[in-house]
Amino acid sequence: MDATIEVRGLRKRFGPTVAVDDLSFTAGPGRVTGFVGPNGAGKSTTMRMIMGLDRPDAGTALVGGRPYRSLRTPLCKLGAMLDASAVHPARRARDHLLWLAHANGLPARRVDEVIELAGLGGAARRRAGGFSLGMRQRLGIAAALLGDPPALMFDEPVNGLDPEGIAWMRGLLRSLAAEGRAVLVSSHLMGELEGGADHLVVIGRGRLIADTAVQDLLEAASAGRVELRTARRQEAMTALAHAGATVTATGRDAVTVTGLTTERIITLLTGAGVAFTGIAEHRASLEEAYMELTKDAVEFQAVTGREAP
Amino acid sequence: MTPAKPAGAATAEPYRSTVQAEARDGFGRLLIAEWTKLRTVPRWTLTLLAAVLITVVVALLTAAGTESSGSGDRPVDSARRQIIDLGHYTYLPLGGDGSVVARVTSQQGGGGWAKAGLMIRGSAERATPYAALMVTPGHGVRLQTGYKGDGAGGGAGSAPRWLKLTRAGATVTGYESADGRGWRRVGSVRLKGLPPSALAGMFVAAPDETKVRRMFGGESVDGQPSVTRATFDHVSASPAPPGAQWRDRASPGGPAADPSMDGRTQAGGTFTLTGSGDVGPNEFADDTTRTTLTGVLIGQAAIVALAVLFVTSEYRRGMLRTTFAATPRRGRVLAAKAVVAGLAAMAAGLAAAFGAVLLAAPLQRSNGLSPPSLADGAVLRAVLGTAALLAVVAVFTVAVAVIVRRSAPAITVVLMVLLLPQIVATGLPLSAARWLERLTPAAGFAIQQTVVRFDRAIGPWTGFGVLCAYAAAAMAAALWLVRKRDT
Repeated sequence: MDATIEVRGLRKRFGPTVAVDDLSFTAGPGRVTGFVGPNGAGKSTTMRMIMGLDRPDAGTALVGGRPYRSLRTPLCKLGAMLDASAVHPARRARDHLLWLAHANGLPARRVDEVIELAGLGGAARRRAGGFSLGMRQRLGIAAALLGDPPALMFDEPVNGLDPEGIAWMRGLLRSLAAEGRAVLVSSHLMGELEGGADHLVVIGRGRLIADTAVQDLLEAASAGRVELRTARRQEAMTALAHAGATVTATGRDAVTVTGLTTERIITLLTGAGVAFTGIAEHRASLEEAYMELTKDAVEFQAVTGREAP
Repeated sequence: MTPAKPAGAATAEPYRSTVQAEARDGFGRLLIAEWTKLRTVPRWTLTLLAAVLITVVVALLTAAGTESSGSGDRPVDSARRQIIDLGHYTYLPLGGDGSVVARVTSQQGGGGWAKAGLMIRGSAERATPYAALMVTPGHGVRLQTGYKGDGAGGGAGSAPRWLKLTRAGATVTGYESADGRGWRRVGSVRLKGLPPSALAGMFVAAPDETKVRRMFGGESVDGQPSVTRATFDHVSASPAPPGAQWRDRASPGGPAADPSMDGRTQAGGTFTLTGSGDVGPNEFADDTTRTTLTGVLIGQAAIVALAVLFVTSEYRRGMLRTTFAATPRRGRVLAAKAVVAGLAAMAAGLAAAFGAVLLAAPLQRSNGLSPPSLADGAVLRAVLGTAALLAVVAVFTVAVAVIVRRSAPAITVVLMVLLLPQIVATGLPLSAARWLERLTPAAGFAIQQTVVRFDRAIGPWTGFGVLCAYAAAAMAAALWLVRKRDT
């Protein structure tokens, strides 16, 4: 029960705008849960409510089954990095971790451990004001790991990182989850989570759009789509359309076919004498799957747009 | 929507924190955490140091710029400068225990605090221990001692009045009567250092008539001696010293006193005493201690800036979220912040106040002034009070900073309420100025006063209490807001 972050019917309104609307999901142990949505979808607000920083208008957020505000040494229950730049620039990295450790009575030895874990070693004695974004992210990670918590939460951890940093972060998230921790990671770019997340919670305009395993989502998005390459596009399209398929031209010599299996397409084209240079089952990227999902969200947004004053 | 499927959850055991067992919460930990925050920003520690330096430097500059124009070659003891011992005194020697009785038949001139009555004192020297029982036109019968105003008694009762003053050991007791038969006890005082052979007799005294004119940047005080005259009869001293003559205390102003302002006439058993000048505190004495500690007015600006930044830097950078994430009990966080800021300010205040008084002393001595002595209770109170004052100012500032959340407005507000009343007061009529210095947080600076001056607005502890009340109110508002607000 310790390693879960659970949100039930969460709602938050800032003046006339509803930031989070009846949101429910669970980030379970042993997996990386991606928390995805466009900017302003309510991801950060939700995370603040999980940490008891913002008060929800309705609903509950539980960390390891308890409200965050009731935790006595919360750094040992949930490690979080909300904003990597939230460090006093004149304070040395190690001192920043030190006061945090003191606040929860953690031993100073733990500070040196997380400095090593986050790969801060050489920079620990430097003032945080001179840190690059990447170094700040590492300091934020170190702070989150201070209490060795079973649940972790990162708000846009790869935002602004270079490719090397993104790879490091992805590996770290995976290894933290592999130890049996619950890891909740937000991003506004689905691509950033490619190969990083096991599970996805997608929100738009504060509402839940999807709560699904990455595997299922990709399968659903790829299902029944076949990519075909042929110089005789027009003839191919006619032949396949006659057989009841939906055919979309995607390039000068490329079409996407849905509604027919690969075998059937090959049979049909061979029968019609249409030559083709390539045929493959489509493997959707996470980005595409996301677009697929948010297609509905766009319609949904249009509706709520009219309702809202 | 697919239901949540625990992908990979089966492969790993739920994680348990390895340091959970060592973690502790508690207010002490919070204090250490907040202190760590304070000491690890170098410019904040420098600011504390600056507060100390500024205060001491101002004290040195003030001491260097003040000179005594008196003719004496030895510095005058500051305690003696703060009293007035004038008026006219006619006495007999009193060996050991005994008493003196007289009737004040009439009293003219000198205002409501003109004094006519009996006095037992150690000697004719200035500033000896004494007990005086007197009638006043405006404040009834009073028993006064120790060169302090007021005294026991009060109520109605003016001339004609019978008075009796009795010495038994170190205790002197005063009685009054309307007819010389039924006596009412007014009060009694113990006089430390009253010699076995003392003086007993009659005295008159009257405070100077003063006019205070104030304008921005200065004030002028005009003093006009006011004369009082009183007649006494049925004068007797017991035991009557054989062959002793009534003698007059030499006028402190010099031998050639104007007889219309000072003197004694005697007709049979009736004495008429004329005198001017008061017996009591010198309301126009310089408060050297307070002057020496003036620097904290400027030094406190550094403390205020520090206490504001200690709070607002967290608001500005979103660091407060990290703070509240580590300690969700916000009230405790704020309390810890206030305590740490207060203690740091107090430490700086102690260094500044003791530094100012001790380092300015040699300069003051070489300029012919007597430096404030830490052996004097009032001086020690002013010095320690200055540290306490800075501590409370820091707590008040932390609270205001939490309410306002931005540096510039918070610093402005705090310095305005602390300094503005004191600046504006110098340009206001005395009565208005007093109210300003009573009702605003600036009242806290009263803790520095060691002399009861004419322009005193509020007692040292009462004034300090006013500042504490402001700090408590601001803290209550800050606690309420910090719990209610989203971060």
